[in-house]
Amino acid sequence: MRRIIRRREILQDSLRYAGEPQDPGTVSVQTAAEWIAGAGAAGGAAAGPAALLLAPTDEVEALAPHLQAVQWIVIEFAKIGEGRGYSQARLLRQRFGYAHELRARGALKRDQLVFLARCGFDAFDLDPAEDLTASLRALDSFTVAYQDGDEALVQLRRRAAPGAAA
Amino acid sequence: MYRYDQIDQTLVEERVAQFRDQTQRFLSGALTEDEFKPLRLRNGLYLQLHAPMLRIAVPYGLLSSRQLRMLAHIARQYDRDYGHFTTRQNLQFNWPKLEQVPDILAELATVEMHAMQTSGNCIRNITADHLAGVAPDELADPRPYCEIIRQWATLHPEFSYLPRKFKIAVTASPADRAAAEVHDVGVRLKRGPDGAIGFEILAGGGLGRTPIIGQVIRDYLPQSDLLAYLEAILRVYNRHGRRDNIHKARIKILMRALGVQEFRRQVEAEFEAAREFAPRLADSEVERMRAFFAPPPYETLDDVADAAGNAGLLSGARAPYEAWYRYNTRAHRVAGYRIVFVSLKKHGEAPGDITAAQMDALADLADRHSFGLIRSTHDQNLVLADVPQRALREVWQTLESLGLATPNIGTLTDMICCPGLDFCSLANAGSIPIAKQIHARFDDLDYLYDLGPIEIKMSGCMNACGHHHIGHIGILGVDKHGKEWYQITIGGSSAAPAALGEVIGPSVPKEAVAETIAKLLDVYLEERQDEHERFIDTVRRIGVEPFQERVYETDHSTA
Repeated sequence: MRRIIRRREILQDSLRYAGEPQDPGTVSVQTAAEWIAGAGAAGGAAAGPAALLLAPTDEVEALAPHLQAVQWIVIEFAKIGEGRGYSQARLLRQRFGYAHELRARGALKRDQLVFLARCGFDAFDLDPAEDLTASLRALDSFTVAYQDGDEALVQLRRRAAPGAAA
Repeated sequence: MYRYDQIDQTLVEERVAQFRDQTQRFLSGALTEDEFKPLRLRNGLYLQLHAPMLRIAVPYGLLSSRQLRMLAHIARQYDRDYGHFTTRQNLQFNWPKLEQVPDILAELATVEMHAMQTSGNCIRNITADHLAGVAPDELADPRPYCEIIRQWATLHPEFSYLPRKFKIAVTASPADRAAAEVHDVGVRLKRGPDGAIGFEILAGGGLGRTPIIGQVIRDYLPQSDLLAYLEAILRVYNRHGRRDNIHKARIKILMRALGVQEFRRQVEAEFEAAREFAPRLADSEVERMRAFFAPPPYETLDDVADAAGNAGLLSGARAPYEAWYRYNTRAHRVAGYRIVFVSLKKHGEAPGDITAAQMDALADLADRHSFGLIRSTHDQNLVLADVPQRALREVWQTLESLGLATPNIGTLTDMICCPGLDFCSLANAGSIPIAKQIHARFDDLDYLYDLGPIEIKMSGCMNACGHHHIGHIGILGVDKHGKEWYQITIGGSSAAPAALGEVIGPSVPKEAVAETIAKLLDVYLEERQDEHERFIDTVRRIGVEPFQERVYETDHSTA
């Protein structure tokens, strides 16, 4: 059984992908493109919460009007250098207000976790060979960041004047 | 200069710890080379022909004497007693040991330095005018904006896995000494309608296999929107830039595919849509940053009457100090001071190379006579920007004794040169041996001075690290059936308005490069209207044909 990191916990995965056995209690993941084109999006929340797989080339704008019916979004990273998912996540979280699980899945190692988490991912389905306990620690590799307008940091910097160097 | 606070220091130290762990995992086999590669590249580490190469960031080319001494220490302790300054104002070491790189980075962190994002598909070191803050012709010091952009770009969560590398240059002078037009994004300081400082934004420039001059995508951007607009550009690029072909992945290719109008429309639309969450650059942050780059405590001095020396006293022989003053120093905007160029283009040395001993001595010299600061230029020299005129002779004598006073700045032998086949695994041909050949062929300083300002830039392959496209004379190494040949272009320029050189004809064999250049120079000397018309101006006026005719008229050795 696949294990994932979700909100800083190591858990059994409850999602299943095309071709995987239908274990009880698991939710089937559909591609976002099929779901939007088919009945899922039209059915809204009444059709039950959806779990969607977003490919790097999928435009998040197409998903935006239907987000109230979505409980899981899994963004695929086919290669370690794949970077579109970071922007997709940012847009889903910031521009479209998506608040449910946002998962990164694919050729990812603990080294990408800090970036992923800061773009809004809260669940990670990493390379099967990756050590998840070490990955949890890697989420805390950095205690500071220059972006995101973190208010505490802004306050700190306001106090720092030239010459007050560390 | 900018000084780290606790946040900056913590960040570089945490980065060192992270990379130490990553290196350890690679060495133990837990990470494959494919997995390690993007991680090491983002810390400036290449695995090269002979050994790893470590590229250390010198943000916008500014170094303190303490930092330069640390680089000397690293050269001695971990490398082969020398380093190499690059066209992005950074410093490369060619012989570090992989397992020692985390230690090198830890040492760098003690002097507020790092190697982050000097390679890899991310936002690279921000470059700037090497005369920022002292140039008489600038609108305002661009470096506060460079540091603001540097911090914003460092470990940016969304833009650390871009389709390809991304280079930003900032300039505040009409002369554009930062080559903003050949960057992915060029930021030019500009006064707005209300007199406030803002920016003209260019995008889509770049060299490499597909050289393109950048285009203006925003005529005027208010200061507060700088980071928000950069985010909009990067987001459009990150989402839509090609990732299927490494040679078509730069933003210039996306811009060309979309057309500048459509690209601009998309950026502006993203900029508007992102307003709520985009970073806003507060005036107070700019002021805070500006204070770091305040002018040093200049003395009130008068210009020294005989600073330029008096060659008349020395009968006959060329007067070395006078030549150095004329070619290697520039006017300063403060009376009594002068800008001094430190030539890293001595005959027999690879352009941009500097030894550990030279670094230490230069650090001492900067402490004595230039407020402890040293700058690197994008044409691979160094600068002492604030030298009192009364100290010029002493500075010259010291530089002369160090082999750093070759009076050739701006002349033919002040060449830009990539490491080439001698070090680089990408290269098709050597660059350094060609630089040596040119030095040997044109060793007569009087002849060089008669030629006037002329820029040779050379790359050992089409990746164009030596910026050959924008050399007045560009030299590109190509591989022909296992032999090194060289394609020559003329008419390129990085100064505004930037221009790409035109190929004069079939490439020439290695041994004929200097001779080919000699023919080009003959045509120039015959055709120029007077000694004030530069080589590049003559090329622009008469075109490439007369040069082509001369090079290829009787020569049957070309193919």
